[in-house]
Amino acid sequence: MISVKNLSHAYIKGGNLAVNNISFEVSKGETFGFLGPSGAGKSTTQGVLTGLLKQQSGEVSVAGYDTKKVQNERFNKIGVSFEQSNVYGKLTAKENLDFYAKLFDVPTRDSEELIRLVGLDGKENVRVGEFSKGMKHRLTFARSMINHPELWFLDEPTTGLDPTIAATIKDIIKEQTAKGVTTFLTTHNMYIADELCDRVAFIIDGVIKLIDTPKNLKLQYGQKLIDIEYIKDDQVVKETLKTIDEQDRKRIGEIVNTYDIQTMHSKEATLEEIFIQVTGRGLV
Amino acid sequence: MIKKLFVVFKKDFLTSRRDFMTVYIMVVPLVLAVIITLFAPGLNDTTVNLAMLKSDDTQHIEYMEQFAKVELFSSVEEMERRVLKRDDIAAIAPKGDGYEIILQGNENDIIETYAVMLNTLYELGSTREETTAQLISFGRTVPPLKTKLVNMLISMTIMLSGMLIAISIVEEKFENTINALNVTPISQTGFVLGKSLLGGVVAMAGIICAVLITGFYDVNWFMILLVGFTSMMLSFIIGFLQGIGSDDVMEAAAGVKMIMLPIAGSIAGYEFLADNWQWTMYWSPFYWAYKANNMILSKTADWGTVLLCTGIVIGLSLLVYIAALPKIRKGLS
Repeated sequence: MISVKNLSHAYIKGGNLAVNNISFEVSKGETFGFLGPSGAGKSTTQGVLTGLLKQQSGEVSVAGYDTKKVQNERFNKIGVSFEQSNVYGKLTAKENLDFYAKLFDVPTRDSEELIRLVGLDGKENVRVGEFSKGMKHRLTFARSMINHPELWFLDEPTTGLDPTIAATIKDIIKEQTAKGVTTFLTTHNMYIADELCDRVAFIIDGVIKLIDTPKNLKLQYGQKLIDIEYIKDDQVVKETLKTIDEQDRKRIGEIVNTYDIQTMHSKEATLEEIFIQVTGRGLV
Repeated sequence: MIKKLFVVFKKDFLTSRRDFMTVYIMVVPLVLAVIITLFAPGLNDTTVNLAMLKSDDTQHIEYMEQFAKVELFSSVEEMERRVLKRDDIAAIAPKGDGYEIILQGNENDIIETYAVMLNTLYELGSTREETTAQLISFGRTVPPLKTKLVNMLISMTIMLSGMLIAISIVEEKFENTINALNVTPISQTGFVLGKSLLGGVVAMAGIICAVLITGFYDVNWFMILLVGFTSMMLSFIIGFLQGIGSDDVMEAAAGVKMIMLPIAGSIAGYEFLADNWQWTMYWSPFYWAYKANNMILSKTADWGTVLLCTGIVIGLSLLVYIAALPKIRKGLS
């Protein structure tokens, strides 16, 4: 569904590359997570894939269309949900969705149904200018589904939402994925990526460091971690150690023999921890 | 494509209706048209006011009433008090064998001359029928000042339509909705044309209403709409450029006003510059549009001149469009 070969992009001609020679493929029906901290090149990549940024190099095919050629009809197959909500404040929720629905050449979803789906029941005829930030974000998310997209770009879909609403959004994404929609998820939230994605790509400084399934990554990088809390000099100290690492194993024994243990839990590494391990950088 | 243009237009019209400034822009030309209509009867009123004594010769009073508005007073003192009021009025009072004309001193020269000449003609016993001059009338019933005001109103309506586009673009930028539109099947050209449609409809409706309200029913409508349509181009380009280059509505409105100032100046140039300096205003499409509209409203226009003027308007606007196109495209991306 998406094929990217040797894509590079610079915002200033001859300047630093925001995306540096990246390549990846996303299969039909797959949920692909594009993970990285702010400024890593996630949005630039999504910008090129959605046609919002002009492709400067490489070969990119999205939903069967070459992104170098201007073919607006490709958007009939694509849905895009933006990180920052972008809806008309002077229009009502329903008017917003109805307006966008009329711009597509394919059958569209019922605006009221979509509004209900994202938990905005009863707000159909309220002007969006009166909405909270989270409500606008939900409407932006709902709009991305208006044309029954085959390929769905989601940029930080749960950012700024309360846990209940975020859970609803995640359920909707799962539901769409189950229907065979290909999803390109851009996020710095590793928990969401872990929960939703079939495969993830770690990107940092415009370079993809690895691409794999969350399960494989955990097997490869995140085995047998132990969180230990102990008392040292009247203070609680916390350490996370790997049981497969010789030095860490010695350290575990040393702590157990020397200090008063408060808590000790074995755990699986999170994607975030794996990201830090692989890239040497955090996600914020 | 056409369907999508109307979708954008409908959305823009709906949002504009919910914004005070855009409603103001749409309504103000109509209000001004009504004001011009209300004040027009007085625009070319050259009636001279005369004060006379009730005791004056009836024949004298009746003679003067044929050519001036006469107010009658019981005494010379009353007449003098009337003359000293703010407006222009000349008093004619019998004195000895003749008459004296009493003036405040600050009247328009024509008032004094008119009063003196009229009284002289009465004293000589002249009548209107005695003239040897043949009266030829072109049948114009509209005061020239009214024509100029309506023409200026048309120009203003077109300039305001550009401001409407600028405000609409700024709002799209502020709400970041241009990105959302860029991931729909509507093309950038479709978006630009859809946006222009709002300005176009408002401008054309404004022109039609202004012309109708001010009573120019019998103008050549094809001509006036053709000139209006072609002169909209420059206004729209300015609207798009200002919309793209501004961060808020006030900045966009101020920017459009600043750019429109020299353009409005070219209209003033048409009215006030001597013939040998008119060429200095040839750069402005609005100069040619104003010139064409002036002839159309005065009913002296012929198709050759109108087409020449509109051709120049299109040519000049196209030059601006070619120069501005890369910036507009980049700004809307």
